[in-house]
Amino acid sequence: MRYRDENKIQAIRESAIEMVVKDGLENFGINRLAKAAGVSPATIYIYYKDKEDLLTSISTEEALKMTRATLKDFNPEMGFEEGLWIQWKNRAAFSLDNHQSVNFFEQLRNSMYKEKMLETISHEFHSAMGSYVHNAVKRGEIREMPLEVYWSVAFAPLYSLIKFHNEGRSLDGRKFKFSEKIMKETFDCVIKGIMK
Amino acid sequence: MNARSQNKLVMQHVLIFKTNIATVQARSKVAPLLDQQSFIEKWTVDMEDVDCVLRVVAAEPVPDRIIALINASEYECAELED
Repeated sequence: MRYRDENKIQAIRESAIEMVVKDGLENFGINRLAKAAGVSPATIYIYYKDKEDLLTSISTEEALKMTRATLKDFNPEMGFEEGLWIQWKNRAAFSLDNHQSVNFFEQLRNSMYKEKMLETISHEFHSAMGSYVHNAVKRGEIREMPLEVYWSVAFAPLYSLIKFHNEGRSLDGRKFKFSEKIMKETFDCVIKGIMK
Repeated sequence: MNARSQNKLVMQHVLIFKTNIATVQARSKVAPLLDQQSFIEKWTVDMEDVDCVLRVVAAEPVPDRIIALINASEYECAELED
């Protein structure tokens, strides 16, 4: 009888993410994955029925990992500024520490896996974020605005900094390194812009 | 919950075979045979794979019975080893 072997599952997951990041979804296959992960194809089939099942399962797990990291120490009852700062710190930490996950999500964009992934995380994520924003509006900390406007002001600046950092350069090829000090300076501007 | 207790609770066996069930037609020929077996909980064929892997979740670890069933419908079937 075969038992679940968590080490093998972990090796399969890590290699799958690596392969998708490196070669894209189109070139992904169970046999190639088996070679990369150092397991036999039969082993992969013990855990997953096919390529789709495997990628759906892995992308959902990665998305949940990201959601949990983003919502760590966060609670929707928090004041707007405090809550947003926690969000920034969590999101920055996740993006900087989990390059592979972030690049993996990038590859899933425009694929069927993205949809399934969103279905899974949207409940947990949106209920927390939705009521946080709603509470802030109710308390008069921010005005009501379309979601796109909110996101573009509240979070896009952070992702710009992360992008600069990952590329090592900002505008005109200036060298750039992310730091909490830079993040805080940007955050303070955002707070000024978004809070009443 | 550890792996052992999980297995005890559900008593499932995952059996993996290499076949030549490569098309939807081929799949539909073996389907009735597999569906009729009460010890088979579910089964799938990955027709995208070179080995057309048949994956069976069964209540009993009886690969030989599955091989016999597939052979009876004139398809090839061999256990895919680890």
